[in-house]
Amino acid sequence: METLVAITKSNWKSALINLIDEYVVYAPYRFWNQLEYGRVTKDNIGDIVYNQPKPSSPLKSLFLPIRENVVNSSQPAQKRIIMGAPACDLSALSILDEIYLNHDYPDPNYMKYRENTILIGFDCHTTNEHCHCTSYGFHPYPTENSDLVISLIDDNFLISAQSDKGLSFLEKYLSNEEQAPDEQKEKATEIRENIEHDLREKNKDLPDYDKTGEVVMQCGDDIWDRYSDTCVSCGACSAICPTCSCFLLIERPEFEKVRSLDTCQYPGFERVAAGEDPLRPLPKRFRNRYMCKYVWKPEKFQSKACTGCGRCIEACIGEINKNDLFKEQFKNLSIEA
Amino acid sequence: MNTATLDLYTPVKATLTKVIEESPTIKTFVLKPEQEFHFKTGQFIELAMEGIGEAPFTPSSSPLVSDQIEVTIMKAGFVTEKIHKLSEGAVLGIRGPYGRGYPLEEMYGKQVLVMGGGCGFAPIRSLLYNLEAEKDKIKKLTFCYGSKTPKDCIYKDYIDHLRAVDKFEVFRSVDKADETWEEREGVVTNLLDEIKINVEESVAVVVGPPIMMKFSVQKLLELGFPGHKILLSLEKNMSCGLGKCGHCMMGKYFVCKDGPVFTYEEIKDQPDIWK
Ligand SMILES: Cc1cc2nc3c(=O)[nH]c(=O)nc-3n(C[C@H](O)[C@H](O)[C@H](O)COP(=O)(O)OP(=O)(O)OC[C@H]3O[C@@H](n4cnc5c(N)ncnc54)[C@H](O)[C@@H]3O)c2cc1C
Ligand code: SF4
Ligand code: SF4
Ligand code: FES
Repeated sequence: METLVAITKSNWKSALINLIDEYVVYAPYRFWNQLEYGRVTKDNIGDIVYNQPKPSSPLKSLFLPIRENVVNSSQPAQKRIIMGAPACDLSALSILDEIYLNHDYPDPNYMKYRENTILIGFDCHTTNEHCHCTSYGFHPYPTENSDLVISLIDDNFLISAQSDKGLSFLEKYLSNEEQAPDEQKEKATEIRENIEHDLREKNKDLPDYDKTGEVVMQCGDDIWDRYSDTCVSCGACSAICPTCSCFLLIERPEFEKVRSLDTCQYPGFERVAAGEDPLRPLPKRFRNRYMCKYVWKPEKFQSKACTGCGRCIEACIGEINKNDLFKEQFKNLSIEA
Repeated sequence: MNTATLDLYTPVKATLTKVIEESPTIKTFVLKPEQEFHFKTGQFIELAMEGIGEAPFTPSSSPLVSDQIEVTIMKAGFVTEKIHKLSEGAVLGIRGPYGRGYPLEEMYGKQVLVMGGGCGFAPIRSLLYNLEAEKDKIKKLTFCYGSKTPKDCIYKDYIDHLRAVDKFEVFRSVDKADETWEEREGVVTNLLDEIKINVEESVAVVVGPPIMMKFSVQKLLELGFPGHKILLSLEKNMSCGLGKCGHCMMGKYFVCKDGPVFTYEEIKDQPDIWK
């Protein structure tokens, strides 16, 4: 970790007080028993939660709002700072960028949000039950798509820059801070290694991302029937997924359009005029999500379509655990091989 | 990128100048866009009724005309029913053109076999206008068209016109004939038994309802057409037309952007191609 500066709690607080005049700043807060992004104000700076795993809403929600007017909206022009994104969410931006910043048709709103946002990622100092980023080739600390990264060690914020934007931010706002003491740097590195080790240990039976496609392909109808049995098509798994990005355009007066996030888990997603709907049967719809993330998108895009955040498992009211499916079927695959 | 797509979601306004009744359920809408509108044959547009809805259609007019665009629409559901109620003077919105159209280069120097079913004639008409203008570049064009009943046959005048075009031949069939019908009866694929085609130097284009495309492709394969010489125009649920919304995803393809024209070879291993 090329830590550039260490900043004390009180200095960080005064830096934030200045920043909220210039930027709309978001950070993770605890609501009941979960984390959620909230707007930082002078009064709640002390309540920001550092270095805990993922807020319940994915980072994507701040770039692709659930509903948004894509013809006429001033929101994307706001200068923002988003603090507290975990690595799994930051990495998930890569596939969203591939889709939304596609050079043929860059999406104006998404592009503005991206350009106008400074992303400050957090290392994860603990994990949630279903976190499995390391199985899919990610680390529990940001390595891409963040401008700055924070690890809070012994009341010192160790801040490193990961982009030019982050570097100039440091120079502008935190230029006269101290270099981090060696023992704190070492401590930060040690936490990274420990968390990484814990995650690998608890997910050792999970196939790696490059094996997931094979596992999904070999699942027969019986598997999809069984695992989709308690699915109620609520779409929560897609709504909270940092990489799911499908939407429906809704026509408004004045030829305006509202983009409303959508999912293949809802009936009718692929329905065509004659009434034909290849995804009407629930198990086919359920399977579609797995095929999309682990077979089709990997063929089409460079970036991974699942970053192992585990939210879809936590959010499912049918208690469907995709990792159970992967473990069970991976075992079968290994036995056959 | 063309100018019309600079602001991705804002359509070009177009005034409805004429409505032509083609059959009890199909009408052609002649539109005059506010600015020139260029497309390649086989590409599609998103046509919006302000505040009501938007749907994808392939223009049925010549891609060589840019100050006017015709869209032939079958009444099929919510949006198309509303569009059918419109009359001259109405203002609609056009986004696009989107997707990959017909690879005309693949047709040059060849015999072109075009098979159309039902409303599939709409995109085909645009292709035929284009090929007629370039008929020096092709050897021959054979058009086989099928519809349910004689009443459902669209573009009657245009058919007469085509029959008179040098190098063009037209065969029609209806599933169920009546006393007025003087051409074939039966499914459109039967027409393939009658026509002479030199498979070696031919390219086939198939556009129509999924079931018609499925059986036509089967028959063409039996006749010896290789998969990469069979061109299909696919219809999927679409919302954005930009390769983003995911509705049209068919395996690794976004039909709106990677298609809607594909060779059979490209899609044969993808899921639900006939649905
Ligand atoms: C590339 C392309 C080119 C086409 N070209 C032509 C053409 O030239 N001429 C022509 O007549 N047709 C054409 N079509 C078909 C045409 O787009 C459809 O007939 C049209 O979209 C039907 O719209 P509708 O609102 O009338 O039908 P509806 O059946 O009311 O459907 C409206 C839309 O909403 C979706 N929908 C409906 N019910 C639900 C539900 N419960 N949940 C979620 N979604 C739902 C449908 O799938 C559809 O996308 C083309 C289609 C494509 C993809
Ligand atoms: S999946 Fe990994 S990166 Fe994401 S919150 Fe959990 S530990 Fe952190
Ligand atoms: S599929 Fe599940 S684990 Fe993978 S990124 Fe989406 S919510 Fe996270
Ligand atoms: S219609 Fe939106 S991705 Fe194809």
